[in-house]
Amino acid sequence: MITTITIFLPLVGVLLMFLLRSADERTVRYTALGVAAAPLLLSLYVYFVHGSDLRGAPLLTQSFEWVSSLGIGYRVGLDGLGFGMFFLSALLTLIAVVASWDIRENLRQYFAILFVAEIGMLGVFAAQDLILFYVFFEITLIPMYLLVGVWGDENRRRAATRFFIYTFLGSTTMLAGFLALGILSGPEFSVVTLTEAGGTLSRAAQVAIAVPILLGLLIKVPAVPFHSWLLDVYVSSPTSTNVVLSGILPKLGTYGLIKIAVPLLPQGVEPFLPYVAIFGVINIIYGAFVAFMQPDLKALVAYSSIGTLGFILLGISSGNALGLNGAVMQQVTHGLYSALLFILVGIIAARAGTRRIDELGGLAARMPWAGGLLVLGALAAMGVPGLAVFVSEFMSIMGGFETFPVQGVLAALGIVLGAVYLLHMVRRVAFGPIERPALQEAGDAGPIEMAAIVPLATLLVVLGVFPSLIVSVQRPAVEAVLAAIGGS
Amino acid sequence: MVTGQTFVGLLPEIVVFLFSITVLMVGVFFPRTTGLTTGLAACGTLATFVVTVVLLAVRFEGNFFGNGYVVDDFALYFKLIVAVSAFFAVLAAARWSGETGDAPEYLNLILSVALGGMLLVSMRDLFGIFVAVELATIPSYAMVAFDRSRRESSEGGMKYLLTGMIASSILLYGIVLIYGAGGSANLGDLGQTFSGQLSPVALLGLVLLISGFAFKVSAAPFHFWTPDAYQGAPTSAAAFLSVAPKAAIFATLLRIFLEGMREAATTWTVVLAVLAIMTMFVGNLLALRQRNVRRMLAYSSVAHSGYILAAFAALQGAGLQTAIQAVLIYSAAYLTMNMGAFLVIDLVGEEAKSYNGLFTTRPGVALSMFVFMAALVGIPPLSGFWGKAWIILAGVQSGSILVYVTVGALVVNSVLSVPYYFGIIRNMFFEEPVTGAEEPKGLGAAKFSVYALAVATTLFIFFIGPLAALVGASGLL
Repeated sequence: MITTITIFLPLVGVLLMFLLRSADERTVRYTALGVAAAPLLLSLYVYFVHGSDLRGAPLLTQSFEWVSSLGIGYRVGLDGLGFGMFFLSALLTLIAVVASWDIRENLRQYFAILFVAEIGMLGVFAAQDLILFYVFFEITLIPMYLLVGVWGDENRRRAATRFFIYTFLGSTTMLAGFLALGILSGPEFSVVTLTEAGGTLSRAAQVAIAVPILLGLLIKVPAVPFHSWLLDVYVSSPTSTNVVLSGILPKLGTYGLIKIAVPLLPQGVEPFLPYVAIFGVINIIYGAFVAFMQPDLKALVAYSSIGTLGFILLGISSGNALGLNGAVMQQVTHGLYSALLFILVGIIAARAGTRRIDELGGLAARMPWAGGLLVLGALAAMGVPGLAVFVSEFMSIMGGFETFPVQGVLAALGIVLGAVYLLHMVRRVAFGPIERPALQEAGDAGPIEMAAIVPLATLLVVLGVFPSLIVSVQRPAVEAVLAAIGGS
Repeated sequence: MVTGQTFVGLLPEIVVFLFSITVLMVGVFFPRTTGLTTGLAACGTLATFVVTVVLLAVRFEGNFFGNGYVVDDFALYFKLIVAVSAFFAVLAAARWSGETGDAPEYLNLILSVALGGMLLVSMRDLFGIFVAVELATIPSYAMVAFDRSRRESSEGGMKYLLTGMIASSILLYGIVLIYGAGGSANLGDLGQTFSGQLSPVALLGLVLLISGFAFKVSAAPFHFWTPDAYQGAPTSAAAFLSVAPKAAIFATLLRIFLEGMREAATTWTVVLAVLAIMTMFVGNLLALRQRNVRRMLAYSSVAHSGYILAAFAALQGAGLQTAIQAVLIYSAAYLTMNMGAFLVIDLVGEEAKSYNGLFTTRPGVALSMFVFMAALVGIPPLSGFWGKAWIILAGVQSGSILVYVTVGALVVNSVLSVPYYFGIIRNMFFEEPVTGAEEPKGLGAAKFSVYALAVATTLFIFFIGPLAALVGASGLL
């Protein structure tokens, strides 16, 4: 019940935004803030009260048959695989509301659409039914399309259209796979039941079904050959959309791999795992190289964000406890750091009037807080020990190395490449002489801006020092996945 | 034998017939009372709706007129669809028919088409089916050609009339051949006769029958009248004709195949699969090139006929029940989204450019149109998604390679249709508003219809469970 309430709470926000027709900007912003805080508080409550045993808490699950002849139902529940992202969706939506300072026109509509997206995001990570998963998966799509297309920069129309067509193609393919899977194994669409049954289909059938599902999910991630739509979208979006877009949306794909593809089709996915690992490595290395060549700070962050998704793919493909735990955790840490960097880019670009790296410089002198946090974010992205990303990347690499040594070594090499471009960026942007006259008068990040970035930075540090805060929640669920695939 | 039961069974038709006569009479004796006639017509459709719901609720069932006319859940369900679409057509027609001063006649035509459609879904006799089809289509020729102020209207009406006549004769020819081969026109008797391979004569009859119906549902390659007819027709006529008669014809096709030719499924599923694939591709590829929203929606309705035909192809093996559910769900979903999209044309305009910036100038209309377009693409949780999902489910269950191909074509076509539906969304949300686009006055009823349909499209998810359960009990299985 708590889960259902949390998922649909943002609906209140949508209604309020419609009702606040004549309210001034301040009221709208504070209302949105209040609404966005509610799911976060509820998920914190869940963490502190039921965190030690998510599966055993009956309050969190809800299930009723909806179309009994086909075994389709409304089934939601939280487990360790999804809880981290469930929490992060609530957090990043709140942060996106805070970071919406660059949205001036149609503010109410902006928040309303953002809340619709939040329903979809929360729902995906709580859905325990294939059809329901798909429905929530797609509910995120349209709002994102509108957020980019209406409030983005001058290139937004093309970016939004490409984004939509690519991801719709991917998700439709995935749907066909889901429906085939559900029909052939029953019909039964409950993820819990299907996981416990553990791949009752023949190997050939599993492989045939795994192909469209993997393809759809990899487009969503996106794995590198399917990534061409993403850069335009990241670069064209307003800052607060970037927060959600880079923090949550790619994880819909990776979460689908961990939650559905791997445990429900163990034999079908198995032959593809080496390739998933290769996709991961390509993401890491390609992302690093291309990021290095970007003259635009936002594009650099975008490629960095695409690149480090590769660690999640590598961890998933490993099929062992270390790698899977790393992948599940990397989903969260990746969201934290890329949201942080995108907001900082927004703050810096607004002050300097440019995002070109060679025109920026000396930021740390004028903006000690923003500059300092940029350095922190870059260090996090590099995977420096003490910060959360290190833990998850390390686990993913070690897990991946155990199963696929070559891919593991190459991924570790990718960390070095990441350090190269990130340090280069930090040196150019944060230090050195001030190159833009506009920056001479620029003040440091204001209180609202700090409110958006400090929580992210804090979580990166806290989870880096105490990774067990999150690993302990996810471990039982990861073990359940391992039991389903017969690994160790 | 005609008993009291017969009258109860015919009650929806009797109600709609009485109201259509009343509307016409009121028009004759009290001219210039558009409000009254429109109100009467709307009440008539609502009364029909209520009567049908009551019959459905008390689970009324029966066979009348020598087993030639049946009232069951399946028939009542489609009568509901016809009644609801007639209701919205009446509302949409209010302003326009009032201006021309021909309101009673036009409304009478709508109710006559509705009467034909409602009789059609209950017919269990091939000749009865033919008569009902004609009752539904002859008034519709007049509806298409009704707008005398526009040349396209009479052009479209003429095209529609000529092709429709040819289609009717082909259909009749097919019926006669089947009658000759089977020795009876009653579907129940035919089901006994055609219990193995079809004889060549019966096969020819079947092909002609399907071709005739293909004209009526604008399936490719018999679709070419559709864009001209829908472009010329008054908006309310296009909206109504693209939904109600089509749904009724799909219903009767389902009855003919499942009651009359169940054993020959291997034959007709092949024909329908080919027809479905062709129709989907033709509709979508031609829609991609349209700049006029009305023509675009006309081609889109061709494509959607293809999707429903794909469900027919899945009427075999384990997919039978799900495929019937798919046709029922798709028909209702199509009512909500397609009718809504057509009615928006009256509010905004038929040029794609007139939709520019609608989100800032008229957010309510823009959001509604957005919902319709997204539903037509098949985005969950909107109504169109459930129709498509059910077709895919049925296709997977059917276990036939050809059906897999058909379902694959459906998936491809869904993606193919994104650019033209989302072209409208793009114009509405991403472009600058056109200057001087004043909202026309007196559109209260049409606006209400659009909003109501948008809500229905969005909340369709809650009807799925009951709908699926309803079909489980339908008399066709």
